[in-house]
Amino acid sequence: MLIEQSAYTNRWRRVSPAAKGTFSLCGMIAAYAAAAPTTACGVAAILCAVTVLGAGIPPVRYLRVAAPALLFLAVSVLSLAVSLKIGATAGDLSLHLARTELERVAHVCGRSLGGLAALLFLALTTPLSDIISLLRRCKLPDTLLDLMTLCYRTLFVLSETVHETITAQSARMGHATMTRSLRSLGGMIANLSVQVWQRSQALHLAALARNNDGALRFLEPDYPDSPRAISLAVISGLALIIMAVSLP
Amino acid sequence: MSDPILSFTDVSYRYPDGTNALNNCSLTIRRGTRTAVLGANGAGKTTMFLHLNGILRPTGGHVQWEETPLDYSRRGMRELRSRVGLVFQNPDSQLFSASVREDVSFGPMNLGLVKEIVRERVAEALLAVGMAESADKPVHNLSYGQKKRVCIAGVLAMQPEVLVLDEPMAGLDAAMQTELTAVLERLHASGMTVIIATHDLDFAYGWADEVIVLQSGELLAHGLPAEILQQEDVQDELGAAPLVAEITRTLSLIGIDLRDKGYLPRSKNELLKAITALSRQEKTS
Ligand SMILES: Nc1ncnc2c1ncn2[C@@H]1O[C@H](COP(=O)(O)OP(=O)(O)OP(=O)(O)O)[C@@H](O)[C@H]1O
Ligand SMILES: [Mg+2]
Repeated sequence: MLIEQSAYTNRWRRVSPAAKGTFSLCGMIAAYAAAAPTTACGVAAILCAVTVLGAGIPPVRYLRVAAPALLFLAVSVLSLAVSLKIGATAGDLSLHLARTELERVAHVCGRSLGGLAALLFLALTTPLSDIISLLRRCKLPDTLLDLMTLCYRTLFVLSETVHETITAQSARMGHATMTRSLRSLGGMIANLSVQVWQRSQALHLAALARNNDGALRFLEPDYPDSPRAISLAVISGLALIIMAVSLP
Repeated sequence: MSDPILSFTDVSYRYPDGTNALNNCSLTIRRGTRTAVLGANGAGKTTMFLHLNGILRPTGGHVQWEETPLDYSRRGMRELRSRVGLVFQNPDSQLFSASVREDVSFGPMNLGLVKEIVRERVAEALLAVGMAESADKPVHNLSYGQKKRVCIAGVLAMQPEVLVLDEPMAGLDAAMQTELTAVLERLHASGMTVIIATHDLDFAYGWADEVIVLQSGELLAHGLPAEILQQEDVQDELGAAPLVAEITRTLSLIGIDLRDKGYLPRSKNELLKAITALSRQEKTS
């Protein structure tokens, strides 16, 4: 979990999540509002630089986290820009670069890059529990946030279980051949389904034991010096938006 | 003798699938005592604990808080669960939040306390279990023993009158066990009633004021550890006797009496001390 690791160890871990959220939001707006694709790319570059230089995320890790999204973006841009043309005569098939489309594709691409950089900024500098409590303060519905909390927590419990199950199965030759591997996989899925059910039951009991009666309430983390951080974020965020809009 | 705080009167419990997990158990736990609950796997310890804070309702008989039967209404349960804190066996199935501090705050927030008080209690509870430095760590990066301690902190932060722990020592290394024993000792000294399910006879012998032995859902014995753990039927059921008890008994058989004004050593350290004292006595005389 590279994102996790960065979120907990970066230089801006203690900066108020509200400030980081505001800046990230401004970055997204700037990327969307940018008039020219190059400006959007510029916004992306700035956000990326802030993440790497400001929060101190190692560039290699940044690239590794961004890689899947970039790959996805590349594939979609290609499929948008290049279209198959079926000729009049049968079997006449040609790839066609839509020149008129190109500008729109560049726009979409720039915006996506900017949006990605803005989201990565938030994800790499802020642990999810902070993001959730930020969203709670933004008055998002409790049910949604409780679900997020439980999913996030369960994710780790389950991934640990999957790991352990695979190790245990391998230790008993469960993955020696292809067919056995398939069998073991089936066994694991069946077992996991039961476990998920049992775990939800156990969580429910544990919640009852700690006097819970519905919504999950936690103490929100307390961050020092938030007004200054927030005003700084608002100012730099606005500057970013203004720059994006005013540049041709 | 102090006043009864929780008691069972003919409690039976049958799980929906027909398993009789408890059969006509009657027992009384007194305020401020340390009780160890012993029994083989499947004897009904966990089931008994789930009755203590009203998560399970007996299918026969009843449970009492002080002298009054439990009130299973919403309000009654709120009150009971703020008094009886229950820590489950498996830490992974009772930690909700990703961060340690947040998770510990869950109970006190449910009690409806104001944030400042919650913050204070969380800090206190984390300090009590020696996890104060890890307050901002994500739960999934903790070791098993650390997770267990966070679970205990989560209940301590609710400041219950009775603390019920289901196998708290299982999976902890020796150092952590000693530390946890010290935590329990402090809690006991502050007046808390502590009830623990355990498979560790030596710990039960050294720590508990009273032991309860369950045998497939029935109460086999309840009383002083020195008496109960010497009974033959109890030793048969548990498959062993505490080592310190066996050593003192064997020594007494060969004529060495370790009794100091009628008090028999109950832990390893007490035993060693008694033996050293005895050898010193012999040298001087
Ligand atoms: N949810 C359930 N449904 C049906 N039967 C159950 C359930 N939970 C426990 N039992 C059964 O009830 C009996 C008592 O179980 P319990 O969990 O109380 O034992 P325990 O003394 O805590 O054992 P261990 O030392 O293994 O934790 C066992 O026979 C068990 O199989
Ligand atoms: Mg149990």
